[in-house]
Amino acid sequence: MEYWILFGVFGVLMVVGTPIAFSLGIASFATIVYLGRPPVVVFQQLNSGVSAFTLMAIPFFIFAGDLMMRGGIAARIIAFAGSVVGHIRGGLGQVNVVASTLFGGISGSAVAEAAAVGGIMIPQMKARGYGADYAVNVTSMAALIALLLPPSHNMIIYSLSGGGRISIADLFTAGIIPGLLLALALMITAYIVARKRGYPTEPFPGFAKAFQYFLISIPGLLLIAIIFGGVRSGIFTATESSCIAVIYALLVTLLVYRTMTWSAFVHCVIGAVRTTAMVLFIIGAAASFGWLMAYLRVAPILTEAVGQLTSDPLMVLLLINVLLLLLGTFMDMGPLIIITTPIFLPMVSSFGVDPVHFGVIMILNLGIGLNTPPLGPVQFVAAAVGKISIWAAMRSVWPFYLAGIIVLGLVTYIPALSLWLPALFRG
Amino acid sequence: QTVLRSSDTHPDGYPTVEAVKHFGELVKERTDGRYEVEVFHSAQLGQEADTIEQTQFGVIDLNRISIGAFGTQVPEATVTQLPYIFRSADHFHNVLDGPIGEEILAAFDAVDVVALAFYDGGARSFYNSQKPITSPEDMAGLKFRVMQSDIFVDMVGALGANATPMPYGEVYSGIQTGVIDGAENNYPSYDTAGHAEVAKYYSLDEHLMVPEVLVMSKIVWDGLTPEDQEIFRQAAKDSVAHQRELWAAQEEESRAAVEALGATINEVDKQPFIDAMKPVYDKYVTDPKLQDLVARIQATEG
Amino acid sequence: MRSGLLAVSRVLRAVSTTALWLSGAGLVAMTAIVAYQVYMRYVVNASPPWTEAGSIQIMSWFIFLGAAVGVRERFHMGFDVLLYALPPAAKPWLRSISDVAIFGFGFGMLWYGGELAIRGASVRIPVLGLPQTVTYLPIVVSGFLICLFVLERMALRLAGEPVDADAVEPTLNEAS
Ligand code: NA
Ligand code: NA
Repeated sequence: MEYWILFGVFGVLMVVGTPIAFSLGIASFATIVYLGRPPVVVFQQLNSGVSAFTLMAIPFFIFAGDLMMRGGIAARIIAFAGSVVGHIRGGLGQVNVVASTLFGGISGSAVAEAAAVGGIMIPQMKARGYGADYAVNVTSMAALIALLLPPSHNMIIYSLSGGGRISIADLFTAGIIPGLLLALALMITAYIVARKRGYPTEPFPGFAKAFQYFLISIPGLLLIAIIFGGVRSGIFTATESSCIAVIYALLVTLLVYRTMTWSAFVHCVIGAVRTTAMVLFIIGAAASFGWLMAYLRVAPILTEAVGQLTSDPLMVLLLINVLLLLLGTFMDMGPLIIITTPIFLPMVSSFGVDPVHFGVIMILNLGIGLNTPPLGPVQFVAAAVGKISIWAAMRSVWPFYLAGIIVLGLVTYIPALSLWLPALFRG
Repeated sequence: QTVLRSSDTHPDGYPTVEAVKHFGELVKERTDGRYEVEVFHSAQLGQEADTIEQTQFGVIDLNRISIGAFGTQVPEATVTQLPYIFRSADHFHNVLDGPIGEEILAAFDAVDVVALAFYDGGARSFYNSQKPITSPEDMAGLKFRVMQSDIFVDMVGALGANATPMPYGEVYSGIQTGVIDGAENNYPSYDTAGHAEVAKYYSLDEHLMVPEVLVMSKIVWDGLTPEDQEIFRQAAKDSVAHQRELWAAQEEESRAAVEALGATINEVDKQPFIDAMKPVYDKYVTDPKLQDLVARIQATEG
Repeated sequence: MRSGLLAVSRVLRAVSTTALWLSGAGLVAMTAIVAYQVYMRYVVNASPPWTEAGSIQIMSWFIFLGAAVGVRERFHMGFDVLLYALPPAAKPWLRSISDVAIFGFGFGMLWYGGELAIRGASVRIPVLGLPQTVTYLPIVVSGFLICLFVLERMALRLAGEPVDADAVEPTLNEAS
């Protein structure tokens, strides 16, 4: 019965059009009342769900994106990028994927990445005549690259959940080829969709003009170098880099371009607060919902059911993938890794699946779950930055899902994609 | 038949998790199956601070928790967090198994939980990526990530190092890139978090031996008959020996594992470290009652 | 009656705007604190221990205040699946159901957040030294504001004001 209340109340409220955060919250509230346990826990988890330092990357990158946009940094970067790739159909889609791959090399958070790259790219893509949904979908799927490329704190969680005997260094290297593969698949998809939609192309302006754009955009481009270099050389952490991005954007627009005014600054602050409050409130309510799911043991029950269904290794991997995609729809990545790894890992290990390989499958799979409603934090961030509804994003996301699922299939059934590189590094 | 839910932040198979499961089996057997214990490991129900509140409100029934997570809520328990207060594992066991241990367990009544037994949490030591630490001078200028605890911060400061706040999940990358030089923990955590891969020097200063404690919600406890309460208490006490065995085995295994990863472990002359702790003791042990408790702990043999 | 309601609405508008400005100030303060940590750690090599806990507290304030503002400005995200399927006359009914749910959750934030805040009075937040109550106050205040804002909307709807007359797709309007 309690399972029906949790999912039923949530489903009904969602259909009625109640905001996601409140649907999650009331469903959790109703369930805990039914269970006769003190409801305080729902509101405690609402608060703890947003009280994580690493989540700070969301407001900071969104804020930085707003500053760059209003202060003209973004426009100058895009003018340069446009001069170089503008003659390719959907060129900015490609730029978006490349930028995501770069950011993915310093950040392990897909949500932060969607905020960082989306904050800069989506408004400019819209301004250049790309559909907002296209921009949002490219951003949200490309953000998953951050999960696969090192560093990736989710891989550390996976290693811990697997009993701590899986080398984190191996996991980090194992994600590199799948991460680049995902980038490639998304670039191809972005190109195909752009052709189909007939997105505008612009003639190549010539090397002289492109070089001129390049010079003007140097202060903006330096931001990427500063963030990358700063994290790599240990000056600040990946999460802190989001704050540095804000400070840098502010300095450049105030002192170099002299475009930032007090009123523009206030607009950026208020805009960032609105977007962040909406997204993080959902993340908080999802923590309450996730707590109830843990309390009711939803994931272990479903997971054990998979074990009973079949013992054919390929089928088991397929079923695990499907199940994780479903669970990932409702639950966040960290808790799911913690709950399902101890059950799945021994299962697949008995068929000879390498724990490092399985880790990559799991991260990519649950990553796609970050982009599926009703609970898709990465998609929420991207849609919020793009100022469209999830509904609008969903209608045209299918080709991008397909790309992700094809990569997931390849990674699942070709172990070498994950295991070749770590073996090479170990020598 | 009642299922009691117990939280643990450690993964399945960890000595504390297994000990609470063992406790549950004893309870089930001795109450003829009227009570069962289900352990929610890996912080599924929340981090320690959250689950303490949940236990206090009666949302969950049992909780295996590190004493440090109670912060300063239970002053008698805070004493066990003072740096270098325990000289050795034997000293640690003698104190907790004796009347002082009972006194500390009883002190938890004030915060609406019933403390049933202490488990081993091992000794925490510093590790870093730069060099072996042999004296407080070696600590100077190094950046260590510490838990969010005032005593920890002051301890690291008193040793001349830089206590740096950082989320646990970022410590691995933080050491790798050099944002921080190291952190501190026991062997099993040093091993399973993978930190031995990036911070090779583990220096056995053993600044802290934090007792783990099994607590029950006061609300749930009050609903038990006196006979059942006795069964629960005794079962908890009986699970301690099992936990200590598992713990010792786990420590050995983790030590071997980090050595296999190339970690350099060095012994430390603790006296200069202990001497440096005077300001920390002066700051935190001001109440005469606590001063007396500290004196009695120090006077305990082992 | 109606003019009284509109007067109340103007007051609530001011409350909402104030909450939004406070949230904004929180974001700026958070930026300063994290930058200060990076500077002190890297340049001075003396990390202030309170920055992580402090900035998290501030973030919690601006998220929950902002969430309350979102109820009034209707910028929370949802799926309006049924709205496409049903005739327009159904809209006020669907919105009323949502508003009841929002009120329920807001009230829970106020009530149970209050319980948590009261218990927290005797607990200190490590490193910051503030009572744990501070951690739960944002939920209490936000819950209170959510209740106010949603009651306002329900009253205006009953009075025949066009509170549901926005576009079907939620808008994320710029600050104005
Ligand atoms: Na990454
Ligand atoms: Na999802």
